[in-house]
Amino acid sequence: MSSVLRAGRTAGLLCLGLSALLPMLLLAIWSVGDSWFYPALWPSRLTAESWRALLSGEGRLWAAAVTSMLLAAGTGAMACIVALPVGRALARLDGWRRHLGAALTFLPVAAPPVALATGLQFSFLSLGLGGRPIGVLLAHAVPAVAYVSLYFTGVFAGFDARVEEEARSLGASAGQTFWFITLPLLRRPLAEGFALGFLISWSQMPLTLLIGGGAVRTLPIEVFAFVEAGQDRIAATGALVLLVPALVALAAARLAASRTEVAAV
Amino acid sequence: MSTAALRIERLSAPFGSAPGLEDLSFEVQSGERFVLLGASGAGKTTLLRAIAGLAPAAARRMEVAGYDVAALPPERRDVVYLHQTPLLFPHLTVGRNVGFPLRVRKVPAAQAAKRVEEALSAVHLESFADRMPHTLSGGQRHRVALARAIIARPAVLLLDEPFASLDPSLRQEVREAVLTIQREYGPALVLVTHDLDEAGLLGDQVGVLLRRRLAQVDRPAQLFARPTSLEVARFLGMPNEVVGRIAEQGCFESVLGVLRVSRTIAPGPSVALFRPEAVRICERGFMAAPVVALRHRVHQTTAIVEVGGTRLEVALGGARPPAAHSLVQLSIDPDQLMIFPAP
Repeated sequence: MSSVLRAGRTAGLLCLGLSALLPMLLLAIWSVGDSWFYPALWPSRLTAESWRALLSGEGRLWAAAVTSMLLAAGTGAMACIVALPVGRALARLDGWRRHLGAALTFLPVAAPPVALATGLQFSFLSLGLGGRPIGVLLAHAVPAVAYVSLYFTGVFAGFDARVEEEARSLGASAGQTFWFITLPLLRRPLAEGFALGFLISWSQMPLTLLIGGGAVRTLPIEVFAFVEAGQDRIAATGALVLLVPALVALAAARLAASRTEVAAV
Repeated sequence: MSTAALRIERLSAPFGSAPGLEDLSFEVQSGERFVLLGASGAGKTTLLRAIAGLAPAAARRMEVAGYDVAALPPERRDVVYLHQTPLLFPHLTVGRNVGFPLRVRKVPAAQAAKRVEEALSAVHLESFADRMPHTLSGGQRHRVALARAIIARPAVLLLDEPFASLDPSLRQEVREAVLTIQREYGPALVLVTHDLDEAGLLGDQVGVLLRRRLAQVDRPAQLFARPTSLEVARFLGMPNEVVGRIAEQGCFESVLGVLRVSRTIAPGPSVALFRPEAVRICERGFMAAPVVALRHRVHQTTAIVEVGGTRLEVALGGARPPAAHSLVQLSIDPDQLMIFPAP
């Protein structure tokens, strides 16, 4: 490879890294910066006030983080429970049935979020679910189930169902086979499916706004509200907290990948 | 009368949406080895899966140890089906794999541990209980799968081509393990293979599955010596096939000349099949034939000769191989001819 190409590749990677890291770095400074106005290059004063409020469990940010956490965990769990059998069924179809099934499953993902949210809002309001956490949870579950189902379709396409047959033949009932064999073998895909569902809910805005009607205050909603109100330090703190699960998921994926490499050796 | 470990009466099983096995009946006694022979796609695996309850089937009766199991789920049939490749549970140690059937039957831990030890000892893997499956060799995996299959003492053990994917040395190791396991635990064994030698070596009874039906069930010696139909004889790989006719006097007339056959066969167009050993090269034979080629096999060398435009494979029986294109004298043993009406 020529040195020009190598230099170009390095520069490209550097730009990509900076484009991801720079906004995070700015957020970190904003979250502790006080009275930072143009053209100053650095805040005139540093304060940990917003972090202290968040970590001591005071203020709207903490409450919103807890709400988001519960909703995301619920969505991740619900997505796995529903998507597991859906993905398995899709993987067992063949030909046009599989394509049709996958297309129908993908529909909530392909639809623009606002269109989906508006459609869901009409039905959820008539069911009395509008403005309630359970309504928001169910709404978040719609795209999450779609994404996780497609993920599980791939997982089950590579899953050797003969292992389950072997267990049945050795005397295990359908329930025992699922509990002792299928579930442990799917532990990692389940964790990944849960993480996927969790992240979809964690960053969800349109569905929370339209179904929650402002009564259900999640972290993205609060961050948005703080930005609008010009409270940049609290908004930056909230935005950094929003990044945490994604970073944890990335680190976990990297760890799992390195473990798989070791196991393969 | 003793109760058969496995009794199948008029079993039919589809191949997906296509018509499948039809009208199969056979029985296997406890401690007996029943070998199913058949070409690829004949339905051998379908039959085993149907017996195990893993594939749909209809049968007048499907009895295991005297109980009709046709309507029971796989786990309640007292039958264990082993896939061609050993499918050990990758997340469980060897000991836990072997103990799995006891765990799901809620056998007390102390008793289960003792039985796992015994089962592993039967396959000479006593020290492997704590190993994970991915650390085992191919032969060891097969032996663990066998120990696991047998630990709950099923009445019937179904083995689907257990030696097919193994090299010859490993094949011997796994075959020994199967025989040891069966000797110690005594289940009825139904084993699928398409290897004729293996069928003869292992089977107390051999069933030939052809065109979706059991064409013949017999003791190996009887089956190999006296196949009851042309298609079974052809499947058993008789290399020599001569077309002729049975004359009124009970003689077979063909390019081989007129041969008197001892069995009563209806007159008419016929086909004779025979092994290379039925024809001998000798000093004074009934006809002379040129040697076309020599064929070297593991256990013997045969000569290909041409008689009246028909090529025959002839056993040399320890004699020195003749030179190519030389003329040899042939003698034939009419009793070894298997003659069937022409199709």
